[in-house]
Amino acid sequence: MNRLQNFRHLKLLMQSLVAKDLKVRYKRSVLGFAWFLLKPLFSMVVYYFVFTRVLRFGGAIDNFALFLLIGLLPWNFFASSLSASTTSLLDNHRLIRSIYFPRIMLPVAEVLANIVHLILALGVLIVVLSVFGYAPNITIITLVPAILLFAGMTAGITMLTSTWNVFYRDVKQFVEMILLAWFYASPIIYPLDSLNVSLGISEIFMNIVKFNPVAGFMEIMHSVLYMREWPHAWCWISTGCWTVFFLSIGYFVFKKAEPTVVKEL
Amino acid sequence: MEYPDGSIRLRDVTLDYRLYHDRTVTLRDTILNLFNRKTTREWFRALSDVTFTIEPGEQVAIIGSNGAGKSSTLKLLANIYEPTSGIVNTTGRIASLLDLGVGFHPDLTGEENIFLNGALIGLNRSEMKKLIPEIAEFAELERFMDTPVKYYSSGMFMRLGFSLATSVDPDILLIDEVLAVGDSRFQDKCYDRIWDFRERGKTIVFVSHDAEAVSRLCTRAIWLDEGHLRRDGDVNEVLAEYSSNSQRRVSMASSAPREWGSMEVKFDSVTLKTESGVPSRIFRKGEKLIIDADVRSVLPDVVSDVVFGFSIHRYDGETVIACNNLEMNQELLNIEGSANCILELDLEVLEPGTYFLGLALTDPQAGKDYHWQDFFYPVTLLDERREPPLKLRKALWKKTR
Repeated sequence: MNRLQNFRHLKLLMQSLVAKDLKVRYKRSVLGFAWFLLKPLFSMVVYYFVFTRVLRFGGAIDNFALFLLIGLLPWNFFASSLSASTTSLLDNHRLIRSIYFPRIMLPVAEVLANIVHLILALGVLIVVLSVFGYAPNITIITLVPAILLFAGMTAGITMLTSTWNVFYRDVKQFVEMILLAWFYASPIIYPLDSLNVSLGISEIFMNIVKFNPVAGFMEIMHSVLYMREWPHAWCWISTGCWTVFFLSIGYFVFKKAEPTVVKEL
Repeated sequence: MEYPDGSIRLRDVTLDYRLYHDRTVTLRDTILNLFNRKTTREWFRALSDVTFTIEPGEQVAIIGSNGAGKSSTLKLLANIYEPTSGIVNTTGRIASLLDLGVGFHPDLTGEENIFLNGALIGLNRSEMKKLIPEIAEFAELERFMDTPVKYYSSGMFMRLGFSLATSVDPDILLIDEVLAVGDSRFQDKCYDRIWDFRERGKTIVFVSHDAEAVSRLCTRAIWLDEGHLRRDGDVNEVLAEYSSNSQRRVSMASSAPREWGSMEVKFDSVTLKTESGVPSRIFRKGEKLIIDADVRSVLPDVVSDVVFGFSIHRYDGETVIACNNLEMNQELLNIEGSANCILELDLEVLEPGTYFLGLALTDPQAGKDYHWQDFFYPVTLLDERREPPLKLRKALWKKTR
């Protein structure tokens, strides 16, 4: 097999894995894809109620509901990719032990299947935003590289967690736990600068929050879709660096562990 | 260096596994062990320094007892395992029948499963489109292609798996004893397809415990013994040596070869051979089994009325046939000094396999046991080679008007 054929075959293999994932998910499901919208929509309603009616906090932001939705959609992508991919090697152990294919495709295929959802959901979001007078402007083009980087970062992290989960089943539980803390530590249900203003947090603490790998991406989402401004440079630097970091570490760890993983499964 | 498609090269291949005594490993154990500096790792060597070459178009069986490294070897050839050390080199497209229907998702229909798993076994889109009717037809599932596979019976499921796995036109076919697919009629169909690969000069590597299937399909056998290559050569020779060895190993069990008796009259040497006089331990259906025994007596006088008996036992020691010349009202032996006795057996093989042959020299009337050899000679009885496939039993020409 020459290089081109090989590449074509890998592409087809990836398509098949993603298609299988999507098909299986929506077999015998009445609402199907709508769930990918419904989940963030439901959390939006909950947070909106909690923050505006109970805590009386979100009042400072106009259209807080839309603000919430902009961050919740990509977070939902991140969280479901991570929890689905973490067990992807274990779930497919019979396949891995009887046919050779690049196994790294398994966690990556989960991320790609979720990306398909995210893109569809963002399409719906843009329509909703336009209806409420938040029609996107030219800055929306930055979402393409931003989502690519974010997907790459997610894939990198899943390479790590899926590998570790073969050796220690605790990793899955650990991931679920970390995701919960990570969610509140990220500027999803609050704008980053609100920490400064309303809570009077010092510059140093602010930088720690900015160091969060998903903070940069969430800020890009908010500045493009909510503020309709060009995102800050630090967002790009942070997201780019974290993506390179997780992808290279993830790939390295996965490849290093792969021969052992196959035997451990 | 480029090798032609379908060749396999293993050089000094060693494969180690990490062994767990308790599979449930948790983070806690690791952390505790980190402090204790106690290692949980224990290595198990599945293969050590195995070297062999298979040329394109060879059909090779890998035989050996459980845990000898047969499946590990197949997984190395299929590129699933990486060797711990050494080089594994295969050329051309590989189809592996290690496990059937593994990628199938229960909620997807037969056709969807073919489409979504075709890429895994190396088909491209246009090949898949072209092959779907063929795959369905071979699996005899044309009517069920739009049924989710969870409603399939296990036989149907395996049939689809086999049909898909063999639909690729491979240069190398790896088979791990999965041929127990469906009913016996479908099994024959599977064999036909594999036979077809053989006819077309494809390389086949076959792992099986079934001596009959091995000798039918393969020309060469590699015998692995606890991870070492014990013997590599002609399939019948290796099989014979393997079966006589495994017989010796069962010796701890009930079917241990035993030799006992007064030895006043004893078997000096016994040769098992075919009708044509060739010494053999493998007999096909229809072939006579000739026992050529040199018997020697240490008694000064002629020993008369010696009964020469034989018994055939199954692998587990159960007696299948036991008989002697007294029972069959045949001439008893009179031995003075030494003699040569021939016992000719014409067996109807109903269940091919490895059996144990035992011989005895006795005199029941005098209450004497001269020499017993229980479970002494392993013999492999095979089905006949189906050539020609048809035989004319009768032809009748009649003139009716």
